[in-house]
Amino acid sequence: MTIPHPVRVGVLVIAATSFYTYVGQMVPQKEVLPPQETLIRADLTTADMVKVGREIMDGKGLCFTCHTIGKTGALRFPDLEGVDTRAQSRVPGLTDIEYFAQSIYEPEKFIVPGFNPGMPVINKPPIGLNDQEILCVIAYLQTLGGMPTVTLQTSHHYYTPAGAPGAAPAPATAAAPGGAPAPATVPAPGAAPGTPPAAPGTPPAAPGATPATPGTLPAAPAAAPAPVPPPKGTR
Amino acid sequence: MNGVLKRRLLFVVGPFTGLVMFASVVMIAMFLTNREYKEPYRAPSTIVDTTPRVEGLAAETAATEASAKARPYAEVEYRTFPVIGSRVAIWAVAQLHLLFAAFVLAVPLFAFIIEAIGYKTGDRRYDRLAYEFTKLLSTSFSLTATFGAFLTFMLIALYPKFTNYLMSVFSPTFLPYVLLFFFEAFFLYTYYYGWGKFHPLVHLGLGLGLNLVGTAIMFIANAWLTFMMSPRGVSDSGAVLSVWDAVYNHTWMPINVHRVIANIAFGGSVAAAYAAFKFLQAETDEERAHYDWMGYIGNFVAISAFLPLPFAGYWLAKEIYAYSQTLGLTMMGGAFSWLFIIQAVLIGNLFLAANYYLWLGMGRVEGMQPLQRFIKYLLIGIAVCFAVWATPRSIIATVSELRAMGGSTHPILGYLGVMSAKNTAVNILILTTFMSFLLYRRTGKIATVSWAKMGHAAQLTIFATAAIIVVFLGIYGYFVEATVRIGLSVPQVSSVLAAMVSITAIDIFLFRGASKTGEVRWGKIPAISQYVLIFIAVTFTWLMGLMGYVRSGLRQHWHVYGVIRDTSVDAFTPTLGFATRVVSATVLLFFLLIAFVFWITSLHDKPDFEQTKTS
Repeated sequence: MTIPHPVRVGVLVIAATSFYTYVGQMVPQKEVLPPQETLIRADLTTADMVKVGREIMDGKGLCFTCHTIGKTGALRFPDLEGVDTRAQSRVPGLTDIEYFAQSIYEPEKFIVPGFNPGMPVINKPPIGLNDQEILCVIAYLQTLGGMPTVTLQTSHHYYTPAGAPGAAPAPATAAAPGGAPAPATVPAPGAAPGTPPAAPGTPPAAPGATPATPGTLPAAPAAAPAPVPPPKGTR
Repeated sequence: MNGVLKRRLLFVVGPFTGLVMFASVVMIAMFLTNREYKEPYRAPSTIVDTTPRVEGLAAETAATEASAKARPYAEVEYRTFPVIGSRVAIWAVAQLHLLFAAFVLAVPLFAFIIEAIGYKTGDRRYDRLAYEFTKLLSTSFSLTATFGAFLTFMLIALYPKFTNYLMSVFSPTFLPYVLLFFFEAFFLYTYYYGWGKFHPLVHLGLGLGLNLVGTAIMFIANAWLTFMMSPRGVSDSGAVLSVWDAVYNHTWMPINVHRVIANIAFGGSVAAAYAAFKFLQAETDEERAHYDWMGYIGNFVAISAFLPLPFAGYWLAKEIYAYSQTLGLTMMGGAFSWLFIIQAVLIGNLFLAANYYLWLGMGRVEGMQPLQRFIKYLLIGIAVCFAVWATPRSIIATVSELRAMGGSTHPILGYLGVMSAKNTAVNILILTTFMSFLLYRRTGKIATVSWAKMGHAAQLTIFATAAIIVVFLGIYGYFVEATVRIGLSVPQVSSVLAAMVSITAIDIFLFRGASKTGEVRWGKIPAISQYVLIFIAVTFTWLMGLMGYVRSGLRQHWHVYGVIRDTSVDAFTPTLGFATRVVSATVLLFFLLIAFVFWITSLHDKPDFEQTKTS
């Protein structure tokens, strides 16, 4: 029996499509969830900030998409191993904290020799870390070759905590048109006791999600000002 | 008896199908309206005794009505599409619209060129071929417009707030778009129905108009979608500062160029698939010869456009990196990096299939034996390059295997997973395919010019030089810093392009007035070659679906990258497995619909009903 050509063509189309679908199933399967918004609790210690900072760098900050720790060879972006040691003297007149802050808020101002500009402004969308999150990141960066000294009351050239001497009142955050408040963070399985429950209607965290770091709370809507206690203005 | 039965059956099938379609529309409408909440029926109060309960219920109803009337208007942010969800629904419709649009834009481009060749050479076969391609346009144009309208309504219904924002940014582009669409309809139908009715130059003018207008339409639509990926001309909060800047954003021109080339490759492959299908169904040698030639031209168009496509892709990727390193690294090193391994499999298959078709095609020509011996070397070259391109940087392995390798990167194969190796492989693949083309071109011909020997030597030298440059720079890339390595792809690409242009130029003069060892016997090609053409069309379509996904999915949880955040339930990036299933479903739907287009087009060639009855 001869199989009609249209049937053969149909089988070929289905077979080719199925083969490509199969190839698609063979590669690693990873679902990427939107970054969870975290609100930094006011009573975080420096040690807690280091943990939160590492978590932010891993997740919302997307830092490790480009940077590495402890890798050598031909790199596209600076490796962060021992970065605090270099940061203390990299730009004359800037402390390590000021240098890190400059790299995050104004990354084009100083480009590490041998590398091309490419670092995005981290406190603006699409990454959009807030000032407290950036302080946590700086705390973690200080551990790479130094001792963390940052607290939530630390001020630097780009940020002065509310209530600090010379601090201006925080401006109201304007929501982008069409931009809804950020969804509340959902406690992942295994979250620390005392973590408030998820907001109604929010999807559950994906299996295997990173457990919430102690000291972080579900986010308030993005437009809400962060409740930071009266600072001491230390650096 | 059978004929009578068949006719009666056909007579019933038409109205029956119409009734089924009508019933389906009614059922869908009922399904959607039934999803809305309705007050349950209550008996009118006039026939019911007034009791405290009834009074209470009446008061409750009145309160509900009053509250409903007083409710202020609030813009809905998202709505849900039943069963498959809004994202997949929009994804499938947008993809189908894009595939048909690509086809409708591409076919007039090469139909126009073929018609112009026919006019210039006076060879009527070209004119007939161009008309044959154009026949596919009319139904495809209707389907493109239908899916375009479908997509617009779906966006308004499912993503009203975001659509409203895009409309507010791009409202000045809508009127020109509609006008151009009207002009496109005018040019397309006059070009098609006016075939042979006007002076050839007038007709060519209509074809030119059709191409210009079609390209302009695509450029406008590209502005909308590239703005979503690399927004410009708006403030941090999304307020419009400059519409022109929003249009002329970072990725607009690279996408324009990339799409024009990709559309030609895709359109050529689908037209070749049509010819292949007709070839398989052909009953006479004459028909077979015609459709073999048509399939060859379609495939020639597809592969000619496919060869420079990676270079346009480089430019697009470069602009994405220039706009945002984060976006670029998400694409190549983050969530989407494995997608490029799937892409490598597809492109490797395309190269293999295209070369195989050319090698089979050599059999059409008498005296092809001397060149046949080169095929095995070309095949080895293609297979090696394919293997290098499809080697991932990180290997999927068990824990013990990972421990043995000392990480997820294989100690030897890991070197093939980086861009230096990939760039080298793809450039050599292009050179090899180009060589296959060249061999096919000269099959059955012997150069007779006085400088023939020198010409062959020059071609070989250029080819070898280009290959050496590509391989040398690929190896050199392992020993230099990233900033230098990124720049190496430019001389690699340039040397391949220069080789292709110069070798072709020499070839044209070399084989001018060449003596023939045998004629091309169109139609004398194994049937499997036609299945290869169909396979190429499926692979191109699937590739377009996949790359459309990465372009759109790259934004991840943003509708407009960095400006309008996606807060819907679909804000996450799905797994590649899920994405490929959606792409496959869309591709199958497309081929179902294109089969319908082929069927409608084939009615042209069928004798009239009255003629059939008489015969």
